[in-house]
Amino acid sequence: MATTHSSQDSADIYEDTVVIRLIQFSVLWAVIAMTAGVYISAELLWPTMDFGQFWLSFGRLRPLHTNGIIFGFGVSALMATAFYSVQRTSHVRLFAPKLAWFCAYAWQLIILLGGLSLLAGWTSTKEYAELEWPFDIAIAVVWVLFGVVFFGTIARRKIRPIYISNWFYGALIIVIAMLHIVNNLAIPVTFGKSYSLYAGAQDAVVQWWYGHNAVGFLLTGGFLGMMYYFLPKHSGRPIWSYRLSVVAFWAFTYSYIWAGPHHLHYSAIPEWVQSLAVVMSVILLAPSWATMINGIMTVSTAWEKLRTDPALKFIVLSLAFYGLATFEGPMMSFPSVNVVSHFTDWTIGHVHSGALGWNAMITYGTFYFMAPRLVGVPLYSVRLANIHFWLALAGTMLYIVAMWGAGVSQGLLWLSVDEIGELSFSFKDIMASMQPFYALRLIAGLIFLAGTCLMAYNLSKTLVGRKAVVVKPPPVDPAYAIGKEAAV
Amino acid sequence: MRDSIYSFLLFKALYEPKIAFAKLAEVDPAPLRILFRYSLWLLLLPPLFSFIGASQFGWRLGAGTPLYMGTGTLLLISLGYLFILFFGLVTTALISRWMADTYGANASFGRHVALITIVGEPLAVASVAHLSPDVFFNALVLIPTTIWAMYLLYKGIPIALGIPPERGMLMASSLVGWLLVAAVSLLGISMSLWTLGIGPLLGV
Repeated sequence: MATTHSSQDSADIYEDTVVIRLIQFSVLWAVIAMTAGVYISAELLWPTMDFGQFWLSFGRLRPLHTNGIIFGFGVSALMATAFYSVQRTSHVRLFAPKLAWFCAYAWQLIILLGGLSLLAGWTSTKEYAELEWPFDIAIAVVWVLFGVVFFGTIARRKIRPIYISNWFYGALIIVIAMLHIVNNLAIPVTFGKSYSLYAGAQDAVVQWWYGHNAVGFLLTGGFLGMMYYFLPKHSGRPIWSYRLSVVAFWAFTYSYIWAGPHHLHYSAIPEWVQSLAVVMSVILLAPSWATMINGIMTVSTAWEKLRTDPALKFIVLSLAFYGLATFEGPMMSFPSVNVVSHFTDWTIGHVHSGALGWNAMITYGTFYFMAPRLVGVPLYSVRLANIHFWLALAGTMLYIVAMWGAGVSQGLLWLSVDEIGELSFSFKDIMASMQPFYALRLIAGLIFLAGTCLMAYNLSKTLVGRKAVVVKPPPVDPAYAIGKEAAV
Repeated sequence: MRDSIYSFLLFKALYEPKIAFAKLAEVDPAPLRILFRYSLWLLLLPPLFSFIGASQFGWRLGAGTPLYMGTGTLLLISLGYLFILFFGLVTTALISRWMADTYGANASFGRHVALITIVGEPLAVASVAHLSPDVFFNALVLIPTTIWAMYLLYKGIPIALGIPPERGMLMASSLVGWLLVAAVSLLGISMSLWTLGIGPLLGV
């Protein structure tokens, strides 16, 4: 129920301006963090590209790349889509809109200052949790406030059922808060340095409980929330099986949390913990693929939409890569595969099949869907969006195949022994032989980044200088309503 | 017979794929005939080239001396390769046939076998790169070929199976999902076999 009137009572209209701002921040971080990724991939080819500057070295730019993508691009996109969809599935304006604005800007400030601190060399050394304790506290506070806005909106909803996308967004908020706080418990020494509360193998277990579930509940669960709201909206069809989506949610939530120790095979943690992680990783395949099938079947009857909607293609393909990544992960958790694949570039390829193929593609599709609707004009250029689609597909495929080739070669060469049991190749020689694969990866990254820049241009032309369309919540079917609107 | 789909299957489909897809749309070929008279010959090429290349030059993974293996091990690897390719083609055709109901495509199994054969044909021919078993050289040849094969899949499904291009795009994307999973499974299975002692000598 969109109107262009600006004299509406603001209490009755959806708060969408904050959504627009978050989309813009998300795209900005995507360009910055992907550029950092391309730069460090070039450094692996030409190490002198750091020009002797510490802040340009691989060790400092790499966490900037990962944190920028996960927390800058990813979380900003998740906040934007959560704020957009929770209003529409609850039929109310955001709870405490000013708090939502505070979350949006405070989050960007944390990413900006946190990124600079990484370049300055502040690091806790924990992967994906490198930011030091002052930032950890700030993240925890803003994250809890994000939860207050989200759950506050759900608490004030006018429709009884809580739609499935909100279950996933809710799990994202609760589980990430738990993981972040527990993993980052530390003893501060100075303003920029702290030491983990855990020691040795226990620290490793806690770290990978965090690391794997950050992938699980942020990069998978959060983005599934995005998928469950925007795919049916996009295709104009209800979700193929709502029951399957609920079963998959609980199976996903239960099994994912155990799988972290598969990052620590053949290490000094108890063997039963490693075995449990493998079993849970394999079980995880069922809910992951149930969700994929649910998505594919939802869109399969809406093929006419592809004629007019370039964004739907991104979402369709993202489901194919989601299927690949969620199959590849459990397979790589098998000890007999892991012994060859671990510490090789195959892992980097696996992460990017998820990050580029699934997270980025579904976000791009969603942004192309949301942007024109938020400001009430058509997308600036459908042609650019179509070109972006093929660049994104080519970049992702080239990246994955290059890393498969590099990873298999490294695994084989590192473990090759001669007749008397000595290693056949030196580490230095093996790494020197990886140059061609790293060159392919650099080209792949440039192609993918070029597509993202096209999107940034396309979306800025669509959004900049325009106000959010005023949208009022539609009436609720009395059969599902709660509160005053409920049927008597 | 000259202009039938059969005359296209082995060579002409390489340079006239769209005509081959159009011809395929006119017939419902017998699946076993396609499989054993045409597809099998193409499937034999990669294991054959791989056997010759690895036995003559060794696997060149980029560092130091090439890896050489005994004839018995190489034979086993090549037979496994052939089996996996055959299994891959049949299962892909079966899955394509299974998906046909969802996407309103033609349900003749023979047509799906022929379609997958035509799509995979460039890859079978490009496997001549295995004669020089250098991983990077093979990646350099097979990556553009794979992109071409994906293009054929997206273009071929709507023509050969008689569905609108948009619906074909959805079906092709679903098949790409399956093929990506199959490709990564191949890597995983290979590594498990190496760990078990079948293949190169690894210190595990």
